[in-house]
Amino acid sequence: MTTTAKLLQFARQWKSTAKEMLGHTIVLAQFFSLLHLTENYICSPTLVYGPSMLPTLNFTGDVLLVEKMSTLLGKVAPGDVVLVRSPENPRKTITKRVIGLEGDTVTFLVDPARSDRSHSLVVPKGHVWIQGDNLYASHDSRHVGPIPYGLLLGKVFYRVWPPRDFGPLGQ
Amino acid sequence: MNRERNRFREREREMGMERLRELTPIVKEALQNTARVANFFCLLHFTGAYMCTVAKLVGPSMLPTFNDGNLVLTERITTRSEKVGSGDVVLVRAPDDPRKVVAKRVKGVEGDVVSYLLDPKKTDELNTVVVPKGHIWIEGDNAHNSHDSRQFGPVPYALLHSRVFFVVWPPADFRSVGNKVLRF
Repeated sequence: MTTTAKLLQFARQWKSTAKEMLGHTIVLAQFFSLLHLTENYICSPTLVYGPSMLPTLNFTGDVLLVEKMSTLLGKVAPGDVVLVRSPENPRKTITKRVIGLEGDTVTFLVDPARSDRSHSLVVPKGHVWIQGDNLYASHDSRHVGPIPYGLLLGKVFYRVWPPRDFGPLGQ
Repeated sequence: MNRERNRFREREREMGMERLRELTPIVKEALQNTARVANFFCLLHFTGAYMCTVAKLVGPSMLPTFNDGNLVLTERITTRSEKVGSGDVVLVRAPDDPRKVVAKRVKGVEGDVVSYLLDPKKTDELNTVVVPKGHIWIEGDNAHNSHDSRQFGPVPYALLHSRVFFVVWPPADFRSVGNKVLRF
């Protein structure tokens, strides 16, 4: 048999398998599409850790449910715990509480561990002021300045891990 | 009398069921077509979010490089892999209005020293700034009519949306976009 005939025979044998593989790939692509859409526009789980939100969040790590619709629609209010992309390191995501929106006046202690000096400023247009609940161990707007609203990723509304802390976050 | 009424109601129910059976294949086809359209838009969105999409430029801030109404191709691969450099034209989410996406040129990345005229119409005073870590400095090519980093300061890298690499409309402007500012 010539090479072409052999190739054609080979192709014919694998035709049904190729069709099946294509079908599976399409289903997989659809699944990942749906997952991407849900994670980016509706709700997604995130693991957060660190001391900056004690006592609200644990030091060793919590799994939180973050919903994206509020930030996309502009419905973020002071007191919300939000997920923010760090302005200093675009690959890092930080969790803090919103203290003030654009136009609000925020007052904060410049260095709570050492002095009682406080500073006031107005949050500029298009920005928010975020602070960690643990003022002594939090690197937030007091150091970095007001954060552009476009960096907000989502609002935390529920905690799913650890099981003893299951439920909505406290105030 | 009752038997007649019952038979009438039975016939009504049968006719109702018949109409439902006639509609079922139409409903099925409608659902299938909706699924196909949804699939198509999903794919379009996915491609736009991770690879390449079209954008329309508005405003005079990038003259003479771009004109109001230019359609450009933008890609998100360089922005996601943090390979944006000085001279690239990028789409950025405006720090003072999170709903607006603006097109500007990157003049400096983190660590660069940037000098700019404080007020080009009045004085020749220069202001020098070091771009902080995790930020970029953007300026429009039309220095006299551009609201950019000279007004709102360095922009966090995470606000970068995509990089412009080709102009597709109007046909007279069909060309690839490079790092050099066009000078006439």
